[in-house]
Amino acid sequence: MEKEIGLIKRAVSRRMFMAGAGTTAAAAFLVGCDNSSKAPSTGGGGTTPPPPQDVPDNDILNFALNLEYLEAEFYLRAATGSGLSSTDALSGAGTVTGGAAVQGFSSAMQQYAVEIAQHELNHVRAIQATISKNSGTPVARPNIDFTNAFNALAAAAGIGSSFDPFSSPSAFLVGAFVFEDVGVTAYTGAAPAITNTDILSAAAGIQAVEAYHAALVRTLLVGMAAANKDQTYVNYANQVSALRGKLGGGNETMLSISSIVAADTTNAIAFSRTTDQVLHIVYAAAPGAGVKSGGFFPNGLNGSISTTAS
Amino acid sequence: MANTETKQLDSIISSRRALLTLGGAAIAGLAFAPRAEAQATISDADILNFALNLEYLEAQFYNLAVSGVTIDKLPTPIPVSVNGAAAGTVTLKPSFAKVPFALPTIQAYAMETAIEEGKHVSFLQGALGTAAVSMPDIDLYNSFNALATVAGLGSSFDPFSSDATFLIGAYIFEDVGVSAYHGAAGLIKDKKVIFPAAVGIHAVEAYHAGLVRTSINVLDAGTGTLNTITQKISAARSMLANPSGASTTTYTGTKADDIGLTTTMVSLNGTSASFSSSTIVDCDSNSIGWGRTTSQVLAIVTGTDPSATSHKGVFFPSGLNGTIK
Repeated sequence: MEKEIGLIKRAVSRRMFMAGAGTTAAAAFLVGCDNSSKAPSTGGGGTTPPPPQDVPDNDILNFALNLEYLEAEFYLRAATGSGLSSTDALSGAGTVTGGAAVQGFSSAMQQYAVEIAQHELNHVRAIQATISKNSGTPVARPNIDFTNAFNALAAAAGIGSSFDPFSSPSAFLVGAFVFEDVGVTAYTGAAPAITNTDILSAAAGIQAVEAYHAALVRTLLVGMAAANKDQTYVNYANQVSALRGKLGGGNETMLSISSIVAADTTNAIAFSRTTDQVLHIVYAAAPGAGVKSGGFFPNGLNGSISTTAS
Repeated sequence: MANTETKQLDSIISSRRALLTLGGAAIAGLAFAPRAEAQATISDADILNFALNLEYLEAQFYNLAVSGVTIDKLPTPIPVSVNGAAAGTVTLKPSFAKVPFALPTIQAYAMETAIEEGKHVSFLQGALGTAAVSMPDIDLYNSFNALATVAGLGSSFDPFSSDATFLIGAYIFEDVGVSAYHGAAGLIKDKKVIFPAAVGIHAVEAYHAGLVRTSINVLDAGTGTLNTITQKISAARSMLANPSGASTTTYTGTKADDIGLTTTMVSLNGTSASFSSSTIVDCDSNSIGWGRTTSQVLAIVTGTDPSATSHKGVFFPSGLNGTIK
């Protein structure tokens, strides 16, 4: 048995190496995905076609798609006043409550908002295309609520009874802060479950982009606080961080001028979260099984990963 | 599940036996090519040691920038000689001194990054245990001058001379670190411990890169000088990683895999390209970060061709330690 396992490991590693060797462009299309750590899948990178029982599972991709819808709507509305086109939201899309063009952006801030909006829009499209290519059906945009969710988060975080992230550039950064580090931890948590090398490469690529975004947001929050000698919005961000930690299993790093990166302070390695932990944060719900909606998703996520198991 | 694995394994083995009987030409034309076969022996330790070399480089750069000393001379020293192998030396300009930071924010960022890269060195040394390699020779003087020449920035460049030049020095490393971990992730066999750690370090490198790029963009506001430098560096990295795909002045080659700081017009909401966007994130047109092979990363940090059999030069004048070099 041990010998077999050794052989399997070598065989798999060889396949993975070859699939990864020419990898720079591989990220453009994700071809398959699997959310369990079962048998090594030959996926699209190997020499043998995948056997039927290895038809990749699109659940994780649809889970990620829900999160990308949320981010895309947030940034598109902040940058332009309008959200996803009906084409991008897919047939049967839910409604979006709240969100408006942020007034008072400097030209640089406007460019940052546009850049992130573009990326999140592209992630929506890339993941949809991947699921379709993978013989699956991408879920439509679920109902999204910014207005009540931010108010509830603000109350739970101790910021106040209401919070409108579209009301000013600083408030926008706090709103962005709510999402980005969560995106990083979600992709970091999901990556080890992915067996197909092309998918993995794409997921790693999206994870990196989310981390760049997170750093952009965190750097601007701290930089603006230093320039204005006003820590109000950094404090808000840290209150959000504390709340995320409570809902999402810890995994937070306090933001300050000397601590931009969100990572485990013992080894400087970024945190990862399970889908349950991510759901608890976006549902604004305390840990526990059976939570299936709330917060930013008043009717829950679309797709099969939508109810917490713990 | 074991059945599935066994069947897959059997089919691999039998197909390979069949191939072997067909002779070399047939094999070369199929997926189990000789080169890939030879490199399939790359172990997780090999990959982690490759990463450790890069982390030695980054940790030395940042710690020298903020403290003026190498990591083995810090109040809490980080060893550079491990497992009985002698460490290489760090080459600095004769009058080297730490960066005279004028901006407290940049100094704080530099300190944070120095600490985090040091922790990456310690983590990798710990994870590798008796397999860890010592620090190779590192050059932080002639290297920057050589890279400046390649990038068309002049014959010399000192990243330790000011806040701005420090940020440019950091810029040179961070996006490369991101693409290196991205490319290496798929090679890692241990999915339980080593892979999640590598993915986590990948994210931290992207945080660093985002921090550096944002800081440069903010510092550059209204002038464009620094952003132009980043474009040249990105073009140089792209050219080194893809010798036939890019030039030193543009990154529009089909194989270009790097983008400097600039502004570009994009479409949102299905409209025409009417929105001005920054390019803080180093990613492709699908907004997905780039991955590079170990050969491409070696090409960038040593200034060699990716296909070279031996990579020595620029930041690693004697090459890297370990098997991937």
